Amino acid sequence: MNKKLLNKTTASFLLFSVLILLISVPAFYYITERLYIEETDETLSLHRDEFLKEELPKINSNDISLWNKYNRNVQIVPSHIVSKDTIFDKIYFDELENENEPYRELNSPIVIKGQPYTYVGRINLIEKEDLIISIALLFLVVIIILLLGILLITKVLSKKLWAPFYDTLNQIQGFEIDKNKKPNFMHTDVEEFNRLNKSLDRLIEKNTDIYNNQREFVENAAHELQTPLALFQTKIDTLFQLDVTKEQSEVLSSLNKDVSRLNRLNKNLLLLSKIENENYLDKQPIVINEYLKKHLDFFTEQAKAKNLNIVIEYTEKLKIKGNPSLTEVLINNLFLNAIRHNIKNGEISIIITSESITFLNTGQETSLIVDKLFNRFSKVNPSSQGNGLGMAIIKKITEISHWKIDYAFENNLHCFTVKF
Amino acid sequence: MKILIIEDELEIAASIKSYFKPNGIHCETSGSYKDALDKINSYDYDCVLLDLMLPDGDGFDILKELKKRNKTEGVIIISAKETLDTRIEGFNLGADDYLTKPFHLSELLVRIQALIRRKNFKGNNCVIFNEIVIDILSKTVTVNNTKLDITKKEIDLLLFLIGNENKVLSKGAIAEHLSGDMADMLDNHDFVYAHIKNLKKKLNHAKSGDYIKTIYGLGYKWDNE
Repeated sequence: MNKKLLNKTTASFLLFSVLILLISVPAFYYITERLYIEETDETLSLHRDEFLKEELPKINSNDISLWNKYNRNVQIVPSHIVSKDTIFDKIYFDELENENEPYRELNSPIVIKGQPYTYVGRINLIEKEDLIISIALLFLVVIIILLLGILLITKVLSKKLWAPFYDTLNQIQGFEIDKNKKPNFMHTDVEEFNRLNKSLDRLIEKNTDIYNNQREFVENAAHELQTPLALFQTKIDTLFQLDVTKEQSEVLSSLNKDVSRLNRLNKNLLLLSKIENENYLDKQPIVINEYLKKHLDFFTEQAKAKNLNIVIEYTEKLKIKGNPSLTEVLINNLFLNAIRHNIKNGEISIIITSESITFLNTGQETSLIVDKLFNRFSKVNPSSQGNGLGMAIIKKITEISHWKIDYAFENNLHCFTVKF
Repeated sequence: MKILIIEDELEIAASIKSYFKPNGIHCETSGSYKDALDKINSYDYDCVLLDLMLPDGDGFDILKELKKRNKTEGVIIISAKETLDTRIEGFNLGADDYLTKPFHLSELLVRIQALIRRKNFKGNNCVIFNEIVIDILSKTVTVNNTKLDITKKEIDLLLFLIGNENKVLSKGAIAEHLSGDMADMLDNHDFVYAHIKNLKKKLNHAKSGDYIKTIYGLGYKWDNE
């Protein structure tokens, strides 16, 4: 599946951000906890130092129980539990909240009136789960804001920054060298896009020039050939009127065939370049059924020599909008092709639906080569009388009329379909 | 009948001239715009054959000049140009017919005859050849006053043959005449044989003379001898 360039970079950004955030959650938790514990330990030591400095000199053995009663977080217990200052985590059960609460506790050996006691100072810690949840929540919010931000920014970027690029892309996509519509690229201050547009401009200009030269050459050559061909033809017509020997008449006859073949070739070349050059914009509604019915006699006549059986299924009325002359050339060419490339006693069926016409005909028993079928001068049978332009003309007409021609070889029938 | 050929390709003009001469058409030729204008101003012609590309001027200007002077000559444009635009412009400027080069001389001949017939049309438009009478308007053919059962194509063929009497016509020339615009796509002219055969049969049946001759290897000829 093709993804947009922008989506690709965005996806990488997003993936990276999420990854970084996920790694940073435990790190953040670990560091925060460390700092918190250190701070707590310091506070405990401070409290203890204060106690040693302020309270210890004043306290009596008798005051200890009273002290313990009113100081929840600083207790004095008899005898030495520890030999030196020790700080550790400890869980106490809180009856008020009815749950275990984590504490940090400092045990320190002290001496009151010659008796050994232990100073127990403690500070209630935040519960670990609370901390994790808070951090996770915080990070979730950060992730969401980050993602939304990135998406929003890329969207705005795609609209603004990439606009010239997409404009160029669209124009190039719609560009066809045989249509007289040169792309006009959007101005941009992005260097890469400017370079792209300039290169494309140059490329298009050069190719259009070459294309036009070639097209003009074909047209001019065909046009220039008309006059010598006319001379050729009239001379042969004149020769026909002379008394000639049998041998001479054979030469003359074959010359006559050659000149008419040349004529046809030239006329078809001219027609092709005319289709390319002239604007066959004039479109009219045409009912194909009626056209076929009107000219069926002509085609039947052409098919007589091969004794072909022609069946036309007018299943639906095919009403199209198109240029009348081009449409006629299209239908004539398709029909005559079906006759020309047929076998003796063969078949032609024509199926007309409301949006397509299909010519099915018998002929050679292998499929035609689809890739070459519509090329100029590509002939199935090189020795045939056809000039290899018929299919190219058909293709050109369907192209400029925005129709579609398809070829298939099914059940030993060659099948040409034009979809309107 | 006198016609003027305005054509800078002198060889083509000469061929037309020699082809038309036996059929009673006298041709004058003119190879330039200036010369053509002089001739038009000095003489009257039945028909003018006009090439559009002349070395010293545009054929369309000659057409304009003709109309300006209210000349009644029928004009057939013979040109290598064959775009729809030039065709339309030609007809708008008053040309009667348009024939694209290259063409068969036989085709040009029947076009001239048809044009003259239309111009001289006085109520009836018939082509009469000995016992054969072709009524162009009602599309009927009678031989010795018997009406033939004949198709439109066969009438067309008959007119083409009679128009080119005593000329050898190739199958190709006949095929192109009969198939009109479709001719450029046809590479098989065998269908002409069937038409000739049918026409011959119908004419023979009506006891007409045996005018249609097959010229071995070349084609057919309407022989009036």
